[in-house]
Amino acid sequence: MFILKDSVKSIATLLPSPRLLPDESEAEFQSSVQGLLSELDKPSPLNVALVTQLNECLWWIKRHTVDKELLLHESMAKILCRADTYRDVYDNHLVSAALEGFFAGNASKKDEQWVNDLLKEAKLTVSDLRARGFKDAAKHIKMADELIHRQYQTMRHLQKSIDAVDFKSRLIKRMDLELTTFENNALAIDAKSS
Amino acid sequence: MPSPPKTLTSRRNAQRSTGPTSTEGKLASSRNSRKHGLTVQVDFESSDVYASLKSLLSEEGFSSFMAADIATSLLHYRRVMDAYYDTYTSPEPVNELMRDMSVTDSMPIFREMLSEPDDVRDMAAFFANMQRKEQRKGGPVSRRTVDCHKLIRYQRHAISRLPKAIRPA
Repeated sequence: MFILKDSVKSIATLLPSPRLLPDESEAEFQSSVQGLLSELDKPSPLNVALVTQLNECLWWIKRHTVDKELLLHESMAKILCRADTYRDVYDNHLVSAALEGFFAGNASKKDEQWVNDLLKEAKLTVSDLRARGFKDAAKHIKMADELIHRQYQTMRHLQKSIDAVDFKSRLIKRMDLELTTFENNALAIDAKSS
Repeated sequence: MPSPPKTLTSRRNAQRSTGPTSTEGKLASSRNSRKHGLTVQVDFESSDVYASLKSLLSEEGFSSFMAADIATSLLHYRRVMDAYYDTYTSPEPVNELMRDMSVTDSMPIFREMLSEPDDVRDMAAFFANMQRKEQRKGGPVSRRTVDCHKLIRYQRHAISRLPKAIRPA
């Protein structure tokens, strides 16, 4: 694995680091940053800071993608609750959680039976429910898409910044080399003349 | 038309209600109805982090002006992203009581509280309206999506400064 020097870490430690959700792993985030850094040749402290921000964007994309599915579940839960006559199931959270398990294929037998009963009550098939849920949640799903798009745009800006830092360091290196060449030439001329 | 003494009294009273006058008062009232706090101007240049960042960037070969610009852009971007995280993790809570209440079932309670039938009707209409608004906002995921969506423009503004600050002349 790519290991960072302490001096290179400095800017990243000075900046407030991206915060993670309670169920997310810090180690996974760091390993993802290391993976991105390994693609850079001798990353500068600023590069490390920029790559960390870029990785945060990737994580936001993941979160908003999960949210898109959750929005659909919320909307489907609302449709089922509206159709249901029992007061005790009039809770979107419970239906939403049950639907999440139902579509992921890991729902308990009780939840599966409950969702099937609700579907029967609402006189809907799973695909009907999904289509209607999508129609109702379209506005919010579009918003989630725009949030994802914003993260892509941000990543493009960060990539540009990383390229600019890289270009600058290459420029300095090139100027150093040219300067050394001039110095060597000058020394050679001095030696010839003497 | 109000009488002259009444007009004078109104003018005198209005001059008393011009909001806070002291610096502390103005600062306190500027935080009224604060949502994400991104419209508040922040003086990064007086912070220690800014000074350390600037010196580190100078060591990296950036000119003092460029280092200052990059440090401000980075801190500004981080501030927006922290506000984004806060908005995402703490959306407006769902008022479950309002969402789930049955206005029809609540009518006897309204009748007990209010004697006039018009008042009961108004009360029922008020609660039905509140319930519609609450239901339109959707669940927690919809709420956080809407709230985060409002921060897009701040994010766009913050990040667009960064490449401009770093770009070599």
